[in-house]
Amino acid sequence: VVDQIRLWQIEGERMKATVGFLFKDFVSAAEYEAPCRYAEEIGVLVWKNDARRMFFVTRHEQIATYLKNKPKSLKVAQAG
Amino acid sequence: MPKAVKGMILLLHCVLVQCDPSIKAIILKIDQDKHDYIVEDLDDQTLMVKETQLPKLKARLEEELANTQQMPDDSGSD
Repeated sequence: VVDQIRLWQIEGERMKATVGFLFKDFVSAAEYEAPCRYAEEIGVLVWKNDARRMFFVTRHEQIATYLKNKPKSLKVAQAG
Repeated sequence: MPKAVKGMILLLHCVLVQCDPSIKAIILKIDQDKHDYIVEDLDDQTLMVKETQLPKLKARLEEELANTQQMPDDSGSD
């Protein structure tokens, strides 16, 4: 589980690299917000940008499951 | 390799690099040669990089840093 996350640093804290997954291309702010908040809750969220509707997580399985269990919101996304 | 979740949300497996804007500027400079490292420019301190290229980028960055150790902190933000 943890070995998916690899960190290395150059000269102290100047650079940090995290292996993981970027979620992007959400059709609406509402579509984006729920999984992003969920990612934060389960502690896999590393980075997010609300304006660009993107977020980066160390693990995506739970997010994918979460999205699958949201048929209503997926329908909205497909319509848009 | 990009993967689609339910055909609309794009999921990319790669590396998130978080660094100072000055370090990011050096990475952008390195990438200019072949555009072979950066997947996406996310914000002034964040980049997506190809996972396979990470060791190479790290080496290139260390090289650049060794060459530009006198770099001023206020090197401008464009």
